[in-house]
Amino acid sequence: MTGNLLVFLGAALASAVEMVEALTIVLALGVTRGWRAPLQGAGAALVVLAVIVAALGPALQAVPIDLLRVVVGSLLLVFGLQWLRKAILRASGLKARHDEDEAFADEVAAARAAGRSPGRDGYAFVISFKSTLLEGLEVAFIVITLGVNQGATAIAAAGAAVALVVVVTVGALVRHPLSRVPENTLKFVVGVMLTSFGTFWAGEGVGIDWPGADASLAGLILLTVAWSLAFTRLLARPPGVVTA
Amino acid sequence: MRALWRGIVEFVVGDDIWIAVSVLLLLGAAAALVRIGGDAWWLLPVGVPAALWVSLVRVRRGSRSGGSAT
Repeated sequence: MTGNLLVFLGAALASAVEMVEALTIVLALGVTRGWRAPLQGAGAALVVLAVIVAALGPALQAVPIDLLRVVVGSLLLVFGLQWLRKAILRASGLKARHDEDEAFADEVAAARAAGRSPGRDGYAFVISFKSTLLEGLEVAFIVITLGVNQGATAIAAAGAAVALVVVVTVGALVRHPLSRVPENTLKFVVGVMLTSFGTFWAGEGVGIDWPGADASLAGLILLTVAWSLAFTRLLARPPGVVTA
Repeated sequence: MRALWRGIVEFVVGDDIWIAVSVLLLLGAAAALVRIGGDAWWLLPVGVPAALWVSLVRVRRGSRSGGSAT
């Protein structure tokens, strides 16, 4: 039950972060060049993603569970550590925070500068398709791996679906980048979860018997939170001294 | 094909290849320890934060000497 809840939350939060980034680009294209081509690009990317997920999900279920845990666990661990690394660097002031308003302004400027040929807006379609597909691939990877390893693919997919509905609804209502979303905090939380799940599954895959079996996952999460916060504090520097 | 391969590597490895390499080394060490009958459960909870700390310190050193954080 707790494991399923963590899978749902992990999938929902990771999906929300990636979807906010894709939404910023689609919104920027829509407000500057019209909505038709960006929406078609995003829609086409969602179709491609659905095909990839439909093919990959069942294929992964045919792989022996220990092999799956090693491969998927180590990938999740690497992913989680990369997310945590970025979140810690941003929280400690060693890296500039991601700013959706700035990303939106950059994308608007690029969209205005790009030439426009008569007929279909190829630029808006391609940029929207590419950004939705790339961010969506990360979501698909996280959702599939979290779901398959925990035997809760439907729950992970539900988490992603809830995130999609929330992000798209809010984006459609405000028609502005979701800059108030605490993206670094979300990245930190998702990084902690992916790192903990990855450690647990990859460890099981190579034959580790965790003390307390499944209950040790909660211990790993608490431990990961503790050392991540400690690292942030140790690396913290005075505000204003950042590198882009 | 080369661009696709580069994209996949960047997607998986991310900003610092050290993290992916250290994860592989840690899992190899844990598997070896399990195989010889040792208790390996402690290795990942100790090794994973140590690997990330090394990566973070390298960024801090780089930014102090004028480089940019990635």
